[in-house]
Amino acid sequence: MSQNRLLAILLSVLAGLVLVVGGLSAVLLLSGGGGDTTGPDGITTTGSGGNPTQPASGRLRLSGTDPVTLDPHTAGDASSAEYIVEIFSGLVTLTPDLDIVPDLAESFDVSPDGLTYTFVLRENATFHTGRRVTADDIKWSIERAASRELASPTALAYLGDIIGVREHFHGIADGVPGVEVVDERTVRITIDAPKPYFLAKLTYPTAFVVDRQQVESNPRNWTRRPNGTGAFKLAEWRLGERIVLQANAQYVLGAPKLSEVVYLLSGGSALTRFENDELDVAFVSVNDIDRARDPSSTLGPLYTAWPQFTISYIAFNTNVPPFDDVHVRRALGLAIDRARISEITFSNMLTPATGILMPGMPGYQSEDLTLPFDPEAAVAELALSRYVDDMPPIIISEVGAGAEARTDTQAFLEQWRTILGINVEVQQTDFATFLADQDAGRLQAFNAGWIMDYPDPEDILDLKFHSASTLNDVSYSNPEVDALLDRARIERDPAARLSTYQEAERLIVDEAAWLPLYFSLSHVVVQPQVTGWFEPPMVVPRLRFIEVSR
Amino acid sequence: MSAYIVRRLAWLPVILFVVSFSTFTIARFGPGDPVSVAAGQIRDPEVLERIRVERGLDRPIPVQYIKWLTNAVQGDLGESYLQQGFSVSELIFPRMWISAQLGFVALVIVFAIGIPLGLIAARFSGTWIDPMIIGTLLFLQAIPVLVLIPPLIWLFALQLNWLPVGGWDGIFDVWWIGGVIAVPIPDPHLYIPLIAFTLPGFVGVARLVRVSALEVNLSDYVRTARAKGLSEAAVQFRHILPNSLLPLITVVGFALASIIEGALFVETLLGINGIGRFLFEAVTSRDYDVILAATVIFSTVFVVTNLLAELCYGLVDPRVRIGSTRR
Repeated sequence: MSQNRLLAILLSVLAGLVLVVGGLSAVLLLSGGGGDTTGPDGITTTGSGGNPTQPASGRLRLSGTDPVTLDPHTAGDASSAEYIVEIFSGLVTLTPDLDIVPDLAESFDVSPDGLTYTFVLRENATFHTGRRVTADDIKWSIERAASRELASPTALAYLGDIIGVREHFHGIADGVPGVEVVDERTVRITIDAPKPYFLAKLTYPTAFVVDRQQVESNPRNWTRRPNGTGAFKLAEWRLGERIVLQANAQYVLGAPKLSEVVYLLSGGSALTRFENDELDVAFVSVNDIDRARDPSSTLGPLYTAWPQFTISYIAFNTNVPPFDDVHVRRALGLAIDRARISEITFSNMLTPATGILMPGMPGYQSEDLTLPFDPEAAVAELALSRYVDDMPPIIISEVGAGAEARTDTQAFLEQWRTILGINVEVQQTDFATFLADQDAGRLQAFNAGWIMDYPDPEDILDLKFHSASTLNDVSYSNPEVDALLDRARIERDPAARLSTYQEAERLIVDEAAWLPLYFSLSHVVVQPQVTGWFEPPMVVPRLRFIEVSR
Repeated sequence: MSAYIVRRLAWLPVILFVVSFSTFTIARFGPGDPVSVAAGQIRDPEVLERIRVERGLDRPIPVQYIKWLTNAVQGDLGESYLQQGFSVSELIFPRMWISAQLGFVALVIVFAIGIPLGLIAARFSGTWIDPMIIGTLLFLQAIPVLVLIPPLIWLFALQLNWLPVGGWDGIFDVWWIGGVIAVPIPDPHLYIPLIAFTLPGFVGVARLVRVSALEVNLSDYVRTARAKGLSEAAVQFRHILPNSLLPLITVVGFALASIIEGALFVETLLGINGIGRFLFEAVTSRDYDVILAATVIFSTVFVVTNLLAELCYGLVDPRVRIGSTRR
């Protein structure tokens, strides 16, 4: 073939493509240029349900991400839980006010010794397919969640109090004797100690009910169209594109007011799409917060902020010099002005922490327990330290892409340098490396956070500061604190229990194992057509309370 | 020739073996693992170890690799830790397809605009037109995509309301004439990413074509063509144009391979569900099987497109004899 002919062919193909693309663009632009290219009535180019970005009555449009998994028994992240609590349910649930109320159970009864919980299931508790939920379903679900093969990261944390769960998880025994089927509608759960917070753990997805028939017939892929018991059914899941939930009119606690919730998983900045009327709710980031807070802006009237049960903190590894010395930790804490730094770097989007328990948590103390900003006291505190003349190098680690440190961290470094004369270095690593170092106890100090899983002080004070807890990643050990935490764990009088936790909290904050930095707020804008929107402080089922009117 | 192709393709499994084994090993030597990343804030070391045992991550690397290889040969590329319940193929191919479509359209436009501009620059070499064209294109290339996209969104989506803010809905949309005749038109989601993709790309093609055209312009046959009295148009289109495009063929091979990988920034900023963004997340969270599968697929595409480019070159330019000393 002659070179010219071949090239001519190549070129004409190229030219053809260009003409097609260019010509069509011109046509489009001439036609008024735009996104509104609708077909004749009845013909849509998308699949079922029409264009998800178009508003419709009873349809709520949210942004979202693909969940890691929709299997309630293995999910451990908040974004998966958001979907799971709407699709599935368990014996008990949390209300928007964080009260624990029966869900699939119609009532429950705790034995006088606090060890045995007896649940009676509702007669009308059904899966989405209409099948009745029985006591066998409860037992099978808990045994599955705690099974050796499933190797769930959350099983021991949420179900480990039940007699036999640990042995079952490690494959030493088969079955969980602590869960007994009394009759078709009655199930009895026995735990290893009278722990008042056990009921709260049952509101977490690890304790939810799944459909045995579905899971066994399709163990690998059943979560693509799961048969749950929650207020919504998963109607569609297109990876990276959208998730559609449809109301379950049979839900035991009442049918949702919405007919459909569409989560749009791609499409760029949520706030921009909100302003373009593609979304009904969007989060506001620090870049847009001034605009949202301005009452005269278009966003102003739509903006609200909601406190979250989330704390960020600087963790000091109390095993490693110089943080094995309480005076160094306290000195660093006294030398930072969190209120001012939060105002400047985060435009007050975060509330400076007043302790470890967030406002609204049981046991929250309204007085500020944290170390105040006091440069003189900081210097005096440091003088008490055995490292005062011989400060080892300090590295604070955080997750990042190797660029600048977090702006607030930079401000802390500056205050430590000018007030205490201590030069602290920042080390940024990617998330996986950070976690590996953290798990291995290799980090000296690090930026971290904690999101409450259930509204009980045990979920943070005991888990993070008891010397025997595997989640105590600062190796904090104080026999006095341990004794308080042990006592609070099984204290049956609620008031005495909370005051024990408060005492422990005061000690922990005072010894500065953590430097509590901020409590988070959720900043959102909501379209006026949406009524009842709220941002609960932690993940709870909420979509059934929301309404959309157009 | 066919023997050459067979011989080249026979190397493919060897290349893939080396690529997959080294990726597999390197990924596992990196700090952290997907179990730890997927665990969330409840990180009981005892439980994490239990999960590693259950997933076989405690076994020696060669053993793990052989298991992966056995499955891969049967078409099972493994499972993702970040998107549980889906096979790696289900996660990768749809996203790759999106990135590939976008990349292909972008490539066509880059060539369609870059080539003529390069030829014009060469034709007017020595005048102000040449540096103006190349300078403008260099300027466009110098605008980072991160800076380019936000004003485009602001103008076309928020102010003019012509285009959506982001996302992806295929290359073509349908435009109805009188509600009866369907005409395919470019989907409105396409414009902003295309502008972002193509603007920085023109200069590469234009400069290559320009240099090559200048070189061809000095060659004997062009002088002969001019000497025998051919019109300037005929010289430009019959002699200079085809011959100055030759070097582009080699570029196409590389370009094709790289565009499939998508553009991380474009996909992230515009919320396009493509492979670039997905792979970035997979790497930072040590999603072993996803990283591995993507590496193997990209290697295959790279090898094959380069082979095709070589073959094309041989076809187009007889001076390049491929695979055989006789012809």
